Amino acid sequence: MSMAKPSKTCKKCVLDSKTPGISINTDTGLCQFCDHFTPVTKEKKAEYRARMDALLTSPPQQGQYDVIFALSGGIDSSYTLYRLKKDYPSLKILAVQFDNGFISETALENAKKFCDLTKSTYLRLTLDQTVLQDTFSKAARSRDAYPGSAKYRASDICNTCISIIKQKIIELAVSTKSPYVIFAFSPGQTDAPFITLTKPFLVWMRKLFDGNLKAMGVTERDTYLIDAAYIQPGSPDPQVTIIHPFLVWDYDKPTFKKECIRLGWIDPDLKDHNSSNCLLNAFAIKNHLDKYQIHSYAYDMAALVRQGAMKREDALKKLTINESDPSIQEVQRKLNR
Amino acid sequence: MNEIHEDTLHFLKTEGFLNDKISLKETDSLTETGVIDSIILLQLVDFLENKYTIEIPVDMLTPENFDTLAGISRTVKKLKKG
Repeated sequence: MSMAKPSKTCKKCVLDSKTPGISINTDTGLCQFCDHFTPVTKEKKAEYRARMDALLTSPPQQGQYDVIFALSGGIDSSYTLYRLKKDYPSLKILAVQFDNGFISETALENAKKFCDLTKSTYLRLTLDQTVLQDTFSKAARSRDAYPGSAKYRASDICNTCISIIKQKIIELAVSTKSPYVIFAFSPGQTDAPFITLTKPFLVWMRKLFDGNLKAMGVTERDTYLIDAAYIQPGSPDPQVTIIHPFLVWDYDKPTFKKECIRLGWIDPDLKDHNSSNCLLNAFAIKNHLDKYQIHSYAYDMAALVRQGAMKREDALKKLTINESDPSIQEVQRKLNR
Repeated sequence: MNEIHEDTLHFLKTEGFLNDKISLKETDSLTETGVIDSIILLQLVDFLENKYTIEIPVDMLTPENFDTLAGISRTVKKLKKG
């Protein structure tokens, strides 16, 4: 009789050996990431801080806005918008909320409230909702449309949604000649605090996402991609830098939440542990887990625990799935139409 | 296989979840074979900069330079010579 090998969980973070691609060192009891982890030094953080201060204190006056900001209306992005204006009061910010058809009413309200509070310009970015829903449906049914590494960072549905947001926000920055794009990604979701965009890199990013969409069977792809006119030969070089402030500031979500609530942010009270704005998220996690046996937040949570930005027990709690979450069935119904 | 190939493959296996079963030729496209995307590419650039104490200019982030093991090796060698 063969016995299944018992799974082991990393002693430090939350990754376990039953997840494909994760191995636990039998000597150290650590996963491959904790085994090789080197924390960012204080000096490096100070260097990042100095660079961000230099960029945002006196941005080049080249366009209508200084910053195009991706605002979901959740805790991280609401806090980031507030903190940016607190630390750099003269910034002219265009806050863009992408309406994917599944954001909660509370998230819409929170986003507008924080734009008023920070005197930022609010833009609700919408695309054809039927076409978008069909794209999410294709993402849910797809397999291996994204590379192996991307499957650990986010679900196929979230990778699709985030990629659309990136493409459209970068397009907005280029078209309005705004020098900075800011995303409130957690330190578990990205490693690079600053990314300077060049035309060849944008061409490559566009081509990669086009390939992902094609692999999912999406036929009308141009609507999701940066307008090719901005990156064609002969067009001006983009003068855009992406900034991820959570790789510069300390990341402490419970404090951010308290601060946001103090400022009037309303908790939407979703059953999903991992999103305070998107009703699609719980379904996306379950869909990804069913397809690949990978919890799409495990890698993010593990990195936060490894970096000391989250308690291990809190991360483990976030990785439990609430099968009774009514949004899972609701989204399934909508996407199967 | 040269040292840069080995280091790149080691990085992709640990950080990029490259499956041991995938055998990569030095001219295979890392993006078309689904090994990397733009985020892993940036992590790879950071890794190579630290490993070889070089600075990779952003305008060198092109498929010609970073989409194959051969291109990565050529680019790193060129920058090491300075």
